[in-house]
Order: sequence, then C-alpha cells, then structure tokens
Amino acid sequence: MSPASPWSRTPVALLCALPGLVQVSARAQEGDLAERLYQSGERAYATKAYQEALDTWSQLLQAAPKSEFAPRALLALARHQVEVEHKPEAAMPYLDRLKGDYLRAPEAADGLLLRGTLLARQARRAADLKDAMAEFNRVIDLFPEAPAVPEARFRLGRAWRDQGQWGRALHQFVEAFVVRPDAAIAPRAMLEAAETLDLLGDLPGCLRLLQQLRTAAPRSPEAQEAAWRLAVRVKHRLQKPPLANEGVWPAGRVKWLKTPTLLATAADGDLLIYQNGLDRAFRFHQGELTPAGAGAPGAKAMVAAPAGEVWLLAKTGLLREQVAAPMPLGGLSAISGAALDRWGALWVADAKTPALTVFSPDGTSRPVASPTANALAPLPTGGLVIAADADRKLLFLDADGQPRTVVPYGKDLPATFRYVVALASDGAGQVAALVEGGDFGEGVVIFGPQGAVLRQATFKSLGISGRITSLAMDHAGGLILCDRRNDLLYRLN
Amino acid sequence: MRIRRFLPFLFLLGLGLGAQDATVKDTFLQAKALWATQGDREGATARFEQVVGVLAPRAATLDPAWSQVLCESYNWLAVLDDRHAQTKPRAQGRLQALIDLDPDFEVDRTLTSQRLTTLFDRLKAEKYAPVKFSYSPEGGTLSVDGRPGPPLGRRFLPFGSHKLAYSRPGYASVELSLDLASGEGRTADFKLTRVSSTVTLYVQPSGAEVLVDGRSLGRTKGQAGAEAAALAVPLGLRPEDLSEAFVISELAAGPHQLELRAPCHRTKVLEMEANLATPWADHTLEPIRLDDSKGTLSVGSAWPGGELFLSGQSQGPLPVAQLPVCSGPYDLLVRFPAGGFSKRITVEEGKALTVDARPKPRLAFLGLEGETDFTGRARLLSLLEGLGDRLQQVAFLPARPGEAPREALARVKASREAELILLATPVPAKVVHQVELLVATLEGEEERLLVKPLEEDPLGALAARLNAVPALHEPGLGLSLLEVPGEPGPWVLSASEAAQKAGLQVGKALTQADGKPLPSIQALRRVLEGARGSVALSQGGAAVTLPVQTEALEIPLGASNLCYPAVLAHLRLLYAGAKGDEANLIRLNLGLGLMHFRKYDKAIEQLRDARLSTVSGVSQGTLDYHTGLCFLRLGSAYQAEATQAFRQALKYPQATLLGPDGPLVGPLARQALEDLK
Repeated sequence: MSPASPWSRTPVALLCALPGLVQVSARAQEGDLAERLYQSGERAYATKAYQEALDTWSQLLQAAPKSEFAPRALLALARHQVEVEHKPEAAMPYLDRLKGDYLRAPEAADGLLLRGTLLARQARRAADLKDAMAEFNRVIDLFPEAPAVPEARFRLGRAWRDQGQWGRALHQFVEAFVVRPDAAIAPRAMLEAAETLDLLGDLPGCLRLLQQLRTAAPRSPEAQEAAWRLAVRVKHRLQKPPLANEGVWPAGRVKWLKTPTLLATAADGDLLIYQNGLDRAFRFHQGELTPAGAGAPGAKAMVAAPAGEVWLLAKTGLLREQVAAPMPLGGLSAISGAALDRWGALWVADAKTPALTVFSPDGTSRPVASPTANALAPLPTGGLVIAADADRKLLFLDADGQPRTVVPYGKDLPATFRYVVALASDGAGQVAALVEGGDFGEGVVIFGPQGAVLRQATFKSLGISGRITSLAMDHAGGLILCDRRNDLLYRLN
Repeated sequence: MRIRRFLPFLFLLGLGLGAQDATVKDTFLQAKALWATQGDREGATARFEQVVGVLAPRAATLDPAWSQVLCESYNWLAVLDDRHAQTKPRAQGRLQALIDLDPDFEVDRTLTSQRLTTLFDRLKAEKYAPVKFSYSPEGGTLSVDGRPGPPLGRRFLPFGSHKLAYSRPGYASVELSLDLASGEGRTADFKLTRVSSTVTLYVQPSGAEVLVDGRSLGRTKGQAGAEAAALAVPLGLRPEDLSEAFVISELAAGPHQLELRAPCHRTKVLEMEANLATPWADHTLEPIRLDDSKGTLSVGSAWPGGELFLSGQSQGPLPVAQLPVCSGPYDLLVRFPAGGFSKRITVEEGKALTVDARPKPRLAFLGLEGETDFTGRARLLSLLEGLGDRLQQVAFLPARPGEAPREALARVKASREAELILLATPVPAKVVHQVELLVATLEGEEERLLVKPLEEDPLGALAARLNAVPALHEPGLGLSLLEVPGEPGPWVLSASEAAQKAGLQVGKALTQADGKPLPSIQALRRVLEGARGSVALSQGGAAVTLPVQTEALEIPLGASNLCYPAVLAHLRLLYAGAKGDEANLIRLNLGLGLMHFRKYDKAIEQLRDARLSTVSGVSQGTLDYHTGLCFLRLGSAYQAEATQAFRQALKYPQATLLGPDGPLVGPLARQALEDLK
C-alpha cells in the first residue's frame, strides 16, 4: 500500500473528523436522553406521581442542560409549584433560570408571562407592578407570535387599570381580543374592555361590547357575567323605572331569619346575610341558607372576600374563615363599613374616627385622611364611596383615597336626608344608599358611578315599615333590604 | 398541366371525402355528359380518372352509393379505353379493378360492347363463383364471412370456403358453410324460424338512447329512408327528419316500458302493452318525437377578462347573456386572468339561470418535498392530490407528475397560474411523525401547519381553513341592540337618524319583525339574512319599515379557523373587481391581513391611499387608526406620521373596530396620541 493510496488517506481523514463526529454523536445522545427524560416526567405527572416527575425533570436539567427539553422542564417545574403546591415563591427560581439561560427558547414566552403574573400578584401597590409589566412587555416584544401574547396584553391591561390608566388599559384589552379573537383569554379581555369603557364614560360602548361578548362566546362564564352587568346598567342607568316594592323576599318567607343586620353580595351573585341573633353570616344560595365565615358576635361590617370567603368585622377584630384568631383592628370601636381593595388591603370606616384605616395583608395599618365615614362601599375603579353624615356628603374616592366626586346629601332629590345608614355597590359602578332623617326620611337612593341620582324611593312610598339596617344590590338590578325587627328581607325592583 | 388539373382533387383528398361530395359527383356527371353530348373521349376519360383518383384509395370504406359511382367510372373508363388503339390495352385492367372492387357489379350492357362484356365475365369466372340465394322471410341481413350486406338474390364469391349467415330481428339466425371451386355455381336457401315479436321505432331526433325496462339497447342513428314516408308525412315531417329504423327484438312476453332519452330533449316514457310482445308479430310504432328541453344561461362578472366554459367547451368571453343551453347539469368554469370560478350548475327546462362569477384563488400543489420515505407517505400524498374535492373557496391545481416541488414553484411563479402554493415537507426525525404543510401567496405571506401522516384526517383542518372566508359585510338596520332580561325582544340602545325619523324608538324593545315574534337578536339576524330590501319592525305599535343596509366588517386577525394567505388571495381578487367604497373596504382589510403578517410597510401602502366615505362603524376613522398603528410599529422614525394618522382618526368619533358594534376608535386613538407625547 503506497502512501498515496486512497486506502491510507481514509483513516487519516477519519481521525481528523473524529472529534467533530464524537461531538455530534454526543449531542444527539444527549438530545435523545433529554427527550426520553422529559416524556418520562410527563407520564409520571399525568398519573399524579408528582415527586417522580419533579425528580425526572430535575435530572434532565442536570444531564442535558443544553437540550431543547431543558426549558420545557423548567417551565413544567415552575407551573407545578404554582398550580399544585401553591408556592409561587418556589416557582421563581425556575422562572429566573428560564429567563436567564433560555430566553431564545419558545417556552420563555410562557415563562415570562407566568413570572409577570406572579409578580403582579405579589404587588401591594401600583408602583410594585413595574417588574410585572416589564415581563408582559417582553412577551409582546420578544415573542410577537406566541400564543402567550393575548394573555400578556390582558395582564398588562389589568396592570394599567390598577394604576388608574384606563385609556392604556383599554388599548391592551382591545388588542388582546382583536389580535387573537379565539384565544382563551379573549372573553375576559372583552369583559374588562367593556368595564373600562364604562370607567371612561362610554356607557353605550360598554353595553355594546358586553352584548358582543355574549354573542361571541355565549357559553363562557364571562358571558354570564356580561349578562348581569349589562342588565343592571340598562335598568339603573337607562331605563330607570321607579323603584317598586316586590314585598317579602323570597316570596312568602317571613320570620325565617334571626335579627338580620348586615347584607352583602358575593362575587358570584349570592346574597350574604349576617344574623345578629345567630352571631354569624350565611350564604343564601338557591333558597338555602348555609353558614359562611367564622362566628362573630356583634359584627358591624361584612366583606365578601375573594375566593368566596366572608370576613366579618366586630369589636374583637377581623374574623376570617381560615384564620382562627381575630386580627385586631387597632381599637376601632364604631366600625361602619369595610372594603377590600385590589391589593388585598382592608379599608375600614369607623364612625368615631375622622380617617379611614387601611390594614395591609401583613397586619400593619395606616390612616388615610378622610372625614368620619358612617358607611362605606367599594367601587369598581379600585376606590371607595363613603358617607360623611357630619358633612352631609357622599365622597367617591379613588384607589389612593383621594376624593374624585363629592355629592351633597339630597342633591337631585325632592328633599334631603340627614343620615346614611348603609352603602352597597353592585360591581358595575352603581351605589345604593340606605338613608334616613331630614325631609326625605327613610328610603333608598341609587347613584351612578359619577354620583348622579338614578333611582330613589322612600319607605313610606313603598309601604315598608320595620327596622332596615342594611341593603345589597343583586345581579338582576334589584335591591335587597334586611329588616331586623321583623326578621325578613324585602326586595325592591 | 395534368398535375395542375389534379391539384384541387389532391387537396380535397386531404380534407376527406365528405367535403367534396358535390365536386366529385359533378365531375362524374360532367364526364358522362362530355361523351354523350360531345363525344369528347379524352375529356370524359380525364374526368372519370379524376373520380377514380379520389374514390379508389378509399374503396374499402365507401358507402354503397359512392361505391356504385366508382364501379360505373371503371366501367366507363374500360369502354372509353377500348375505343382507341393506343388505350385499348388498359381496358382489361379497368375491368379487373371493377371486379376486384365489386364482383357483384353488372356492367352496363347498353354501353359495353359484347366483346368487353365477354371479357368481363371471363375475368370474373377466373376468381369467383356465382351463388344463388333464397330467403324466407325476406328483408333480413346476409353476412358473408362476417361482413353484413343486403340480401341479394345472387352473389359472386371468391373460390374457397365461406361462412354465410342470414338474420332478421324476431327470428333465429341461420348459418351455412359453402366451399366454392372454379366453374361451379351453388345455391343457398335460408328459412328462418320466428322466436319473438319486433317493434320498430323511428325517433326524432336521431341519436336518442333507447331503453326497455330501464335497460339500454343502444341509440338511434342515421336518417330514415323513403320507407318511412308513410309514417312521417301525416305528422308533417319528412322521412329524413327521423332516425333510421331502430328495431327492438327479443321482446319477452308481457308489458314493457319504453324510454327514450336524448341530450337537449325531454325524456319520453311509453308503455308498451302486452299484445306487442305476443302473439309474435312485427310492429312499427308511430314516429316518436322528443320535445326540446332548453333553458337559458347568463353569466356575468364584475371582474374583467373572464371566459366561460361549459363542461369544457368554451362559450366565449363574459358577459354571456341569455345563452340557450340544453337542460341538465354542467360544470361551469370561468377563467379569469387571475383566479378562476367554477360551479356545478343545473339548467332547468324553460328557466333562466343567472350566475355571477367571482374569481376564486387558485392553489397549486407543488408536491411532497424530498424522497424521505415514511409510513403513511403514499396515503398522505393521495389525500393531498384529492384535496381539491374538499375545497369550495379555492380552485385546486394538482401537482404535475414527475415535477420536483422546486421546479413547480418556479413554473407557478413564472406563469402566475396560481395565487397560492401548497408544499408538503416531512419534518425530519428518527420516525417521521409530522409533515409541515406550507400555504403561501406568491407575494410571500405564508402559514405553516403541522399534520401527522397517520392521523385519521390529516388535511381536515387545512381544508376547513381554506374553505373559511371571512365576511366583509353583514346586513344591518342601523340599530344597536341589547338583550335585556325581562324585555320581550331586542332592546334598542341606539338607532341611526334615519331609523329614528322612520319612527323607531330608542330605549324600547322590538317585538316583531315582518309580522313574526322577535324573541332575540339572533332571530333578527336570521330575518335580516333572508330579507329582501327592507324589514318591518314593531315595538308594540305600528310597524316601522327600515331598509336593510350592508354594514362593513373587519376581518378577524389571528383567528385559528382562517388561512390568512388564502384570505389575502381572496381579498386581492375581490379588489380587482371592486369600485368605490367597496374597493376601499377591501383595501382596509388587505391592510389588516398584512398587519397579521407584520408587514406594516405593505399594510400602509394599502391603508394610506384608501378613502371610505362612511364615518360611523368600520369607516374612515378605522382606516386612519390602523394606519397610525402601522406607523407606530415601524418604529420611532415614523412617529410624526403615526401622530397625524391618530389625529385624523379622532375626527370620526363614531368609527369603530371590528364591526358596527365594535369598540370605538376614538378612545384608542386618543390614548395612542397620549403615549406618543
């Protein structure tokens, strides 16, 4: 065999190419292993063998960190911490690594979205939303065609709305459903866009969009929500029929409660009733009363908290279902109303304190300058409405507690009243006040989001006599009143 | 000189005999006259030779009348050649040609000399033997060695073995074998036995299909001869108006149903009573006339340059008005310079059908990329080839056999014979589990769809998306309606000025439409879809009639049920045939389609020069808002243009996105301007 022979050149060429071939082969093996590990983890996860799945995915991250399955594993691990373990803080390291090491991977879009969502959840004030919004914007800018984009826009819209930037919020909500009309988030985006239009003063636009939502996604939960939101707006703000007493509600049920003193409407539309005689609250659902919340003798305020919880405020403090010990309320002794804001802070009004007190989720409190409030109800803007009997004014406050609209008692009414006993709101911007005193006397007044009187009636004209202590606005445009003297409810329509 | 005289005949020979019947006949008669009246032997000979020159090469296929002309020409030539010493030797050849052509031909003894006649008989006897025939009954068909012919009383047949058969409808055929040798004459007697009745038909038109009890027996043909005169004349027809006799034989006992079908004619069904079948006899029915069955077809199009084809036959350029067309189904095709329109139509007798042809985009399937073999490849390829059967909105052009996808792409790009292309590419893996389907416009907008070759219907999603064409309009009444609980029907949130002037009240529910209860918006939508011009609405009192308007819509973006390259191709074709606001609405939607592909610069080209005269709903403000968005997405370099566009949009406070009830453009444009500050 001569040196020039091709038989001698082949081994030389092979030797030269060997490192490359070995590298390619090793990469292929790593990819193969990563795929099998990922699928093994998926199989285990599907059978709820979570630990096995987490171990397998962690092994994948160690064994094949450069494979395309590594970012998938990180995202799966993060989602598990959020959705199953309910430990968002434990998901963050995975999401940080996904963002830091795999920003070019398609999974990074979902990772950034999840990271932003968790950051937004952690926010306790508007300024805290900056990092979350940055993540949502990254999804939109870096992955414009990703399926995560509509949700990123939706969450960005929510963040703008929480900052009172309704125009910017509307833009993002509209983009979310216009750019991807069949995305899962589209009905929610339409609902939020409609609500934002109302905040911007475009009631017809709001109503049209609510109707469009009902047409576009008739079976979605958002369509159900849109139905009542549309109905109450039309009834209270456009049709404005005179309030009529439908009588005892539910029909024929008298003396069925024990001293009902507080009412509230849960997010799902159920009525919450606090019965002073039984020292606890009840949920009224399809004609049945079921206990809700912790026992609380002498409760002065009731809050329908997220996730269906009922919070009661009494002299002993704030009583929550999941927490055994009451949270002290800093010596507030004449609580006249309470509401939870978007950040989870509890705003409490006290008839003897010339300020509102805001309790953070961590238990700390701060006063917010305000006239003494005799009643309080939340607004969909993130703010509150309070009644200041001393000043004879209703104050519509923004999310920072600053008054945006002031409505003198009796404005646009045939006669003035002196006191507001209770306030209620319906989540669509309308506020109902239970009033007494003055020439108006006992009765109810329904106000629009800007404080205009929409509907009103005196109990005398409605033929109601009793000791009415609280009211709630239902999802069909009616008002429920509780009569502690006669142990029953009335419905006005 | 001689060649020049033959040139017209050579030309005619090239065209075929049918085109020269009259000329040949004329030449034949001239030849006879030249000899009879002028004694011009040479002139007559030349003309008979011309006739022979034309007819002799086709002797085997000549019909009996022309065969007779050829035979007579040979006879004449033999006689004329025999009259001159120089040409006399050729006479025998003429006679031999005559015998070879038709041994049964008898020379004209008044014309032919005794010597030539004797020569003729001698030549014939060298090869042929006479056979005498008798037939019972007469009027049948005699076949000699499988060749059918008239039942002559005497025939000259070549020496050797022959198979003879005599047949007649309604009778059992009889066959005989004959061995013929020189110098001997033979006889053949045929006596047939009756086996069934026969029914003879003459049908107008010729070419009708004849069915008995649903079974096709063939088609009528030709023209009837003089024998049908007695039947045709009383009906005001000439015999040649009818087909040749069509004989139905082997008619089983009992009644039968006779059905006659012919294109462009109404099918006729006749009941044949049992006495036609038994006792056995020959029946002739009165001539049967099938009535014409025609409708008219008008095809028009707003798009220029269309050519109409009906079942493959060109009917000329559009518009085609009141074209008489035989009733029946047709594949209607209109070819446009870009795009095509096809529709299966049925023209009904006496009715006018009008078709408005709108070109559809053409999708050229380029093929399956690469040679990678994988499980399901053949099945997927077959499904792809058959995709056209599933598409209603796109005309499908299958791949050309043997053409590589790259070559196909180059061909389609060069010829512009399609607006869309489809390419399938296997996704490489250890096992091919996925195939990528690429749909793209020739302008470069593309979408990719991954399918699994082994799934039940890998092309279902693609076909559905290609068939989905978003609407650009919806019928409306200028009303915004809500469904409010407790209201008897759709509640009027707002109404156009015209609707309010007509008496419609805002803030009140509609209860009836066109006299029928109206429980929901959905019900009103159905009424509008079927409405012609206007709808009468009631709100509990007197009805208010409102005209149905077309309200502009935007195409949805990012919808998973749409194939956006196909949507763009549709819009581009639509634009070619549109004018005014319609054209500008299409441009708006073309812009949206390009925005879907993030081609903001191209979108601006469509949007900025479009002008809509409408100011509410999807209108000029919508156009301006999208123009602003496009400039915004092109980056800070176009900030001034974006600002200007959003400012323009603010001039139309009633402009909306999506449709007439979509979000107002105003707040969005205002916010965009705020953000641009």
